[in-house]
Amino acid sequence: MAVLALDGLTKRFGPHLAVDGVSFAVEEREVFGLLGPNGSGKSTILRLVAGYLRPSSGTARVAGLDVVRNGSAARQRIGYVPEGAPLYGHMRVNQFLTFMGRLRGLDGKAVARAVDAAVDRLALASVRGTIIERLSHGYRQRVSLAQAVLHEPELLVLDEPSNGLDPRQIIELRGLLRELAQNCAVLVTSHILAEIERTADRVAILLDGRLLTVEHLGGDHATAPPPSHLETLFLNLTQAKAI
Amino acid sequence: MSLSTLVVKEVRTLFSSPIAYAVIAVFIVLSGYTFTVTLFVSKQATLVHIFFQAAVQLILLVPLITMRQFAEERRNGTLELLLTSPVREIDIVLAKFIASMVVVLAMTSLTLIYATVLAVYGQPEWGPIYSGYLGLVLFGAALLSIGLMLSALTANQIVAAVVSLGLFGLLWAIDTLASLLPQPFENWLLGLSLLAHFTPFAVGAMYVSDFGFFLSVVLLGLFLTVRALARS
Repeated sequence: MAVLALDGLTKRFGPHLAVDGVSFAVEEREVFGLLGPNGSGKSTILRLVAGYLRPSSGTARVAGLDVVRNGSAARQRIGYVPEGAPLYGHMRVNQFLTFMGRLRGLDGKAVARAVDAAVDRLALASVRGTIIERLSHGYRQRVSLAQAVLHEPELLVLDEPSNGLDPRQIIELRGLLRELAQNCAVLVTSHILAEIERTADRVAILLDGRLLTVEHLGGDHATAPPPSHLETLFLNLTQAKAI
Repeated sequence: MSLSTLVVKEVRTLFSSPIAYAVIAVFIVLSGYTFTVTLFVSKQATLVHIFFQAAVQLILLVPLITMRQFAEERRNGTLELLLTSPVREIDIVLAKFIASMVVVLAMTSLTLIYATVLAVYGQPEWGPIYSGYLGLVLFGAALLSIGLMLSALTANQIVAAVVSLGLFGLLWAIDTLASLLPQPFENWLLGLSLLAHFTPFAVGAMYVSDFGFFLSVVLLGLFLTVRALARS
């Protein structure tokens, strides 16, 4: 069974048709990219899948659960990173992750274990006591990813996760996505074609809310692809600078 | 579980900003000034004037408590985080309401020192004092529920605060407009007046209808807040 199945998903905002009858499925351990120009409906589809918006018609099912009819149960199976990675800036990393874990039904020792695991996985140990608003953009993105994987979701939904990251952070994110995809399906949007090409197994291209095509991308994406010549040069020259 | 987690987060958020402390401090300083001056002038062991002034102060200060609640979450994008978690809208709204009530209760309970002063140095009538405090708490709860609803409708804190202030002022003084209208419009508008429903509490006369009015406003405000927040 597909982890995510969209069937004729449509969203209208008044007279504006933002998503027009989109259908596709995302399989287990697959990184599925959504590509399209600004305003093509990428973020709207992600918000519909994550349960932030309600579809005007059509359905979105996560692990067989309709995101409207079984909203809470479906959301329990999703980890979502909205565009811009919004966080509670006044909280410490540890406090924020504990809060998000409890919202997802983890309690007591389970939430502590989940936070520890997410901190290890996202390499956040050095900043877990830091107030979030003092973190660099790269670390904020990691914290946002950490809250999304706390409850070991079956589907990870990422809206433009590479926005605002420098080349080093983008390369690290690439590896991180492949690592996360070992345990769940990943639905990711980007307007950087090269990034999607390097990380996704399949890609859907959207225009004006309509799905134009779904393509298999060649190559072995089981592990993160090696950096290009320019990326290697950049990494070598900027090695001293941390994320 | 989700509700208690959200309440703790909201209380911490409110008290991590200077706004809650500033609001409480201004409330206490102004009511303390009035209490002292009135006590020395009238030499009567009563808090009636304090209750009326406290109600007006709540009209001015509650918008500062509620304006950020949803507007800031919407502007920062964190509302998206909350609404895509497996929690119900009603829990999110109730948590913000309860946390805001903590601030209102802190403000009103600090004025209990005036009642203590009256008890030590005079012989106050306790009935009007009990009913006055009950009235203030109900009045504050009603303002909070309306303020939260307005905050849920916008991403701009200032807009939320200004519209709340305007609506509170209108509902407080609407009985003056009612007196200009013929029946049954006069009664309809009087039925909406915050002042008309608060006055009996402040002077020591409690009616079920006034209690029911404030309770209805609270429930309607919270219901509309949930509707405003609902995934669309």
